Amino acid sequence: MSGAGTALLRARGLRKDYGKGEALVRAVDEVDLDVATGETLAVMGPSGCGKSTLLHLLGGLDRPSAGELWLNDRRTDRLSERALAGLRQGEIGFVFQAFHLMDELTARENIELPALLAGRSPREARRRALALLDRVGLADRADHLPSALSGGQRQRVAIARALVNDPLVVLADEPTGNLDSAATLDVLRLFEHLHASGLTLVIVTHDERVAATADRLVSMRDGALVDETRLTGGGRRNFADLLRLED
Amino acid sequence: MGRTFLVYRLAVRDLRHHAAQAVLLVVAIAAATATLTMALSMNGVTSQPYSATKAATDGPDVVAYLTSTGQAKALVHASGVASSSGPYPVVGATIRFDGRTAGVFAQGRGQEPAAVDRPDVTAGSWVRPGGVVLERTFAEALGAQVGDVVTLNGQRFTVAGIAVTAAQAPYPNLCYFTASSCPPWLTVPGGDWRNVGVIWMTEGGALGLASKANPLTTTYVLNLKLGNPADADAFAQQRFVPFPQPSGSSGFTPPYLGPVFSTWDGIASADALLVQDAQSVLEPGALLLALLAIASVTVLVGRRLSEYARRVGLLKAVGGTPGTVAAMFLAENLALALLAAVVGLVAGSLAAPLLTSPGAALVGAPGAPSLTAVTVAKVMGVALAVALAATLVPAIRAARTSTVAAINDVARPPRRRGALVRMSAGLPVPVLFGLRLVGRRPRRALLTAANIAVTVTGLVAVLSFHATVNSRLGTGGSMIAGGLSDPVVTRDEQMLTVITILLVVLAALNAIFTTWATVIDARRASALMRALGARDTQVGSGLVVAQVLAALPGAIAGVPLGIGLFAAVVKNGSVPPVSWLAAAVLGVLIAMAALTAIPARIGSRQPVAHVLQAEAA
Amino acid sequence: MQQEVVLAMLAKEPSQGYQLRARMNDALGPLGEALNAGQIYVTLGRLEKAGLVAVEETPEATGPADRDRKVYVLTAAGQQRVAEWLAEVSWPRPDLAEFHLKLIAAAAARLADPISIVDAQRRELLRRLRDAQRAQMAVPDGSDAALLLEGIVLRLQADLRWLEACEANWTIRRRKR
Repeated sequence: MSGAGTALLRARGLRKDYGKGEALVRAVDEVDLDVATGETLAVMGPSGCGKSTLLHLLGGLDRPSAGELWLNDRRTDRLSERALAGLRQGEIGFVFQAFHLMDELTARENIELPALLAGRSPREARRRALALLDRVGLADRADHLPSALSGGQRQRVAIARALVNDPLVVLADEPTGNLDSAATLDVLRLFEHLHASGLTLVIVTHDERVAATADRLVSMRDGALVDETRLTGGGRRNFADLLRLED
Repeated sequence: MGRTFLVYRLAVRDLRHHAAQAVLLVVAIAAATATLTMALSMNGVTSQPYSATKAATDGPDVVAYLTSTGQAKALVHASGVASSSGPYPVVGATIRFDGRTAGVFAQGRGQEPAAVDRPDVTAGSWVRPGGVVLERTFAEALGAQVGDVVTLNGQRFTVAGIAVTAAQAPYPNLCYFTASSCPPWLTVPGGDWRNVGVIWMTEGGALGLASKANPLTTTYVLNLKLGNPADADAFAQQRFVPFPQPSGSSGFTPPYLGPVFSTWDGIASADALLVQDAQSVLEPGALLLALLAIASVTVLVGRRLSEYARRVGLLKAVGGTPGTVAAMFLAENLALALLAAVVGLVAGSLAAPLLTSPGAALVGAPGAPSLTAVTVAKVMGVALAVALAATLVPAIRAARTSTVAAINDVARPPRRRGALVRMSAGLPVPVLFGLRLVGRRPRRALLTAANIAVTVTGLVAVLSFHATVNSRLGTGGSMIAGGLSDPVVTRDEQMLTVITILLVVLAALNAIFTTWATVIDARRASALMRALGARDTQVGSGLVVAQVLAALPGAIAGVPLGIGLFAAVVKNGSVPPVSWLAAAVLGVLIAMAALTAIPARIGSRQPVAHVLQAEAA
Repeated sequence: MQQEVVLAMLAKEPSQGYQLRARMNDALGPLGEALNAGQIYVTLGRLEKAGLVAVEETPEATGPADRDRKVYVLTAAGQQRVAEWLAEVSWPRPDLAEFHLKLIAAAAARLADPISIVDAQRRELLRRLRDAQRAQMAVPDGSDAALLLEGIVLRLQADLRWLEACEANWTIRRRKR
């Protein structure tokens, strides 16, 4: 967990507590984490282990009780709400399990949303949104409302939305949690493309299929990081190896 | 630039999505602004139309009451006098119509229009032999119309027309400034200084009213127009003849020969008395309505709050600053408030004439009273303030909530009240359910109580007014003997009726909003109750019980509040009898129950599974 | 009966046949009752022939039958084989029962930390899952290959889930000790 020079995202001693006294719950317990530029990191763990909370802290959606956080060598744990919003306009894109699209906006308008919030002109926002719709394979659904889209399509719209301001890092919280097998594959394909284009990705998941696409996998339990597995490296197997018929 | 476009887009979409709620919000605020507009235009009505009347009728700046025509010459040729008309004979007489009796000062006039004081005939025609023209407010109080037959000193005349003038104050304030507008040598028929009206007839007809029983009191009226109207008071002061003192050892007091003068600003003040009362009633009325409007808006906005929290969280998560988010939240509601203000302005200005006519002594009332820029600004300001008051706190709170909490819609869970749960355990199902519903959302219950309190306050104030009128009728205070209706009271009643109607409408709307909000909030609980064996009538009744329980303390509190409010506005008023108060409270509660029953019924009809599934989604 | 499992069971201490069978039954619970009583002796015989196990005769051998009197012990070759086996990671072997017994044997004999065995297996399966998914994304949707790959992915996923359960379980056992 080192690599100080190239780490895009760095956390030291991150802590998040809820409640007080006897009812104190430590959701995130002294987490140290580095995410290198261009890396895909998966965070796994049983439900209630604090991985979603960790992601929220990394993305500035919540404030840590203690600890330090750096994004691109800039301290982010003490920023004001307004400055945090600025981060989300430029550097960080967030993808939620429940998609959280606005029901009354079309797919294209949903994608335009962060661009408009960042102050881009409507024309520029529209251009970016259409390009991203193309990239996620939903160009023909641009003017559909979320209610007319399947779960997988909605999540792809949500991913496109997270990308519209060219973020440095995309944080995804259980992105395939509400999706079936086929839709999961679509999303994983998309993540592979994004990874190949150099995007840094942090994915919280309990789905091993998603975790397997990462470069590195960390496990959380009771708020603390307990394990780290590097999945890249090692020889490439061929197809036959995958299938050893039982002897 | 993108941000403003976004705010616009989101606001438009959201309004389209929730059109019904938007309409309700507009209605609530529009009712309050309409009342306010009426109040403010009343202000204009009193000062301006007197001027309009004076201009239209070529009203005099100074009116002189003379004891002989000889006194006229000196006045007509006095310096500063531009033109004059008269002197016209004025005769005191008694008029009877339809069982009512009043005194009149009958002016004898010719057919040709006068140079100064040309009364504006609003119905019928001008004087003719056998006919009389009544002053408009007097006609309204008497209940007489063109074509009716009245009796003057025993002689029969037909009402030829109805007119307004700026030379005398309208009934019943003709003799408000007794010495100057009703000269002391003119006996008031019937002895009641308030029960005197102005009529016009042919000179022959007027002089013919004299009889042995009613000897002619020689009075003449002279209308003067000055070169500079501002000099009217000085003119009158200069020529003021003091009352004679007893002279000599005999203590003989020579008769007072006058002349006495009445100036235009005195007449204008007397005019204003007609609507002053109504206006003083209007302001507290508008306040009550504004309170109800705020309450409606609060409920409507509060309903959207958890929905809003989610949107707010989402916007913050994709990069919205707290400022942008709050701006969005306010923009929608303020835009609606402005629309409501415009609607209210239009409605109020259209409705204002109802209060100033028919029967007003003031010309210029039919058609819209003029809306000044100040009025418009004030009304807009109030509408915005109402919207702001109700939406500011939620907007700020929404913007400051932690993004995560907002987006996961950690709605405030209902409070558990152990004691309430235990206490209600043994009660019949509807009461049990109702009590627990109230305990779940105490703030909503408080809001309901407040709404009802405001409504009952208004109703009790109106009842107090009627009680006061009734009691004064008995002791002959401000009510006029002779059976005529007091135009001031008539106007007050009109005003109060309008306000009461608006209050009731707004209160009904409020009741519907709160009930609907409660029903939706309790949807899941109701479905669960039904799933566990309660009948849908029991559940519906439970909702009614919840609302009535919440309303009860408000209704009871409204009684002393209403009495207090009335006492603050009217001195020496009466308290309504207990039976009236009880009827008001019960009436409101029953109405509340009825209004609740409808949405409750609809809500409890939905299949249980639908509701529970929808909530889980 | 996997031979290595029996070997590993002997790693803790030299044992008689029926003792080994008892230990297996403990580990496998109701599933163990399906085990043929005689099967274990056959395996022990094979192991003896392969030189991985030796018999220790004791004069005071108790037990009804001859074979029960025999006490079996690991040879050096046997110990090495056990060590190798513990370090092996592959898929789709070992099967559930085998892996389960591997962990128990490793813990009982204190030869290795069961949790690191689980972690190693997990890592291997994750890598295979990654490769299988990559392959799945490379072939056309709906093709025969895609279907087979989906099967592989799902099995790997299922096994990974069980490994998580093993990890959680053994962590608790470790704390209790």
